[in-house]
Amino acid sequence: MNIFEKTWLFFTQDGAWAGTGGIWQRVAEHLGYSGLILICAAVIAVPIGLLVGHTGRGENAVVAVTGALRSLPTLGLLTLFALWLGLGLTAPVLALVILAISPLLAGVYSGIAAVDRVTVDAARAQGMTESQILFRVELPLALPLIFGGIRNAALQVIATVTIMAYINLGGLGRYLIDGLAVRDYPRMVASVILVAALALIVDLILSLIQRAVTPATSKELS
Amino acid sequence: MDSLVQENGDSQASQADRQKDRSETGAAIEFRSVTKKYGSHTVVENLSLTIPSGKITVFVGPSGCGKTTSLRMINRMVEHTSGEILVKGQPNTESSPHELRRSIGYVLQQAGLMPHRKIIDNIATVPYLKNVPKKQARAQAKELMKTVGLSEDLANRYPAQLSGGQAQRVGVARALASESDIILMDEPFSAVDPVVRADLQQEILRLQEKFHRTIIFVTHDIDEAIQLGDYIAVFATGGRLAQFGTPEEILREPADDFVSGFVGRDRGMRRLTFASAQNLPIHPLEAQDTPWQKWQLKIKDGMPAGWETEGRTIPGGSLFVEGGTLRDALDSVLSSPSGWGVVVDRQGKAIGLLNSDDVLDATEEERYRRYGVA
Repeated sequence: MNIFEKTWLFFTQDGAWAGTGGIWQRVAEHLGYSGLILICAAVIAVPIGLLVGHTGRGENAVVAVTGALRSLPTLGLLTLFALWLGLGLTAPVLALVILAISPLLAGVYSGIAAVDRVTVDAARAQGMTESQILFRVELPLALPLIFGGIRNAALQVIATVTIMAYINLGGLGRYLIDGLAVRDYPRMVASVILVAALALIVDLILSLIQRAVTPATSKELS
Repeated sequence: MDSLVQENGDSQASQADRQKDRSETGAAIEFRSVTKKYGSHTVVENLSLTIPSGKITVFVGPSGCGKTTSLRMINRMVEHTSGEILVKGQPNTESSPHELRRSIGYVLQQAGLMPHRKIIDNIATVPYLKNVPKKQARAQAKELMKTVGLSEDLANRYPAQLSGGQAQRVGVARALASESDIILMDEPFSAVDPVVRADLQQEILRLQEKFHRTIIFVTHDIDEAIQLGDYIAVFATGGRLAQFGTPEEILREPADDFVSGFVGRDRGMRRLTFASAQNLPIHPLEAQDTPWQKWQLKIKDGMPAGWETEGRTIPGGSLFVEGGTLRDALDSVLSSPSGWGVVVDRQGKAIGLLNSDDVLDATEEERYRRYGVA
């Protein structure tokens, strides 16, 4: 029996999906962590991105910070925070929020900044207040790029949430860490397949939402 | 000497007219010693200017002369450094910038429409901001589409689906929708092709006849300034106001070398714009002989369709529309292959011919009339 047949057996054995420690529970945990992390990252990144994109102030800082955050090794951060804050949810969430901020911030900031300045100038000249310009003009027009950032962040977070199992938390990473400990390679392969599938499904759903909320700019699109 | 006296007399009279005109209609906008600096760089220097209400005032000058900055200081898109700008008698710093801007229409060079809003909603931008009910704002917007010559079919399209000329008409409709007496236009027609530009210029004059708004129009094109302006403010490099007056005054007596240089070598031609061609005889539409060739004007569905000679058809020149200026008349005879200018009515139907000798005589008469010497 090769490894793929064994992996197939892992998916089809009794009790693989339902119940405590089953696949569905791990998927739910995985999604829960990912959602929590994305929301925390969005709370930080979206307002900063909107502000910097709209005012044009602090652009250099944003570019530097997103670059720097991107290059931080998440596993190293997780270890550092776990040593500092102890085991529990705080350390991995913190490490992964740092990971997610970078694509979110870049998406929001560049989306707003990419809106044609003539359009913004016209909106201001018609008598829109700054917040009306931001929410009625810049934000709707920036949505495609903002969604690009969200999807990017979601993919990275879903892939990386596996490391939460490293410090005894749940999620699909459980199969990876546990499988490694007992050299159960089919279980590890199953973990990888599940994470990849989950990431693709979430990306598909986000792309559908994106299509629904992006304002039309021509009749063909509406 | 004689001619000088005459000239001065003329100009005093028209200046008096202008004063009278202004006191009757009142000032819409007044610049009082307004200066704009960016750091140590002066963009507009000590500008004092009274813009009469209900008229088209054109700010004209080369790039970097501060004309657009001056325009944008009116609705505080640019804040002035010192001095005071009065809008309908009130300093423009009294209300908040967005309140001020909602009360002043603004047409931009590149239309500047919201790409994610339908045409009808673009036009209704300011009414929406003023919380006019959506239904009412849209009904008004639809009305305005007709006013600026846009088909109602375009109401539910998006700006990306319009031509440059249509987009500018939407821009004008949007400015009209603010229902303000003052409309600022920042080089609105410089990005469209010459044919569309000429259409839009006619449209502005037609709308102005109807609405009598105070329009401040920025352009770098002196011809456009002369065609549209009741008054022209010529700006010189460095943000200095070189001259303010009617187009005729500016062409007749440029205040300094800068202005005469700017109004250019075609000054004589441009002045013909102010001469009426109504006394020109219109000759009947029959075969016209020139000393060396026989020419026959071809007519298709009543419209002129070129000139025929010795079996060949040659495209015609510019057409002289009934009621046009002496400049139009001169152009029609100069550009016509036969030397005969073609007169058309407002529907474009050929109704007669202009003789080049008549037109040249008329330009001579115009000169006598102006200077009083034969």
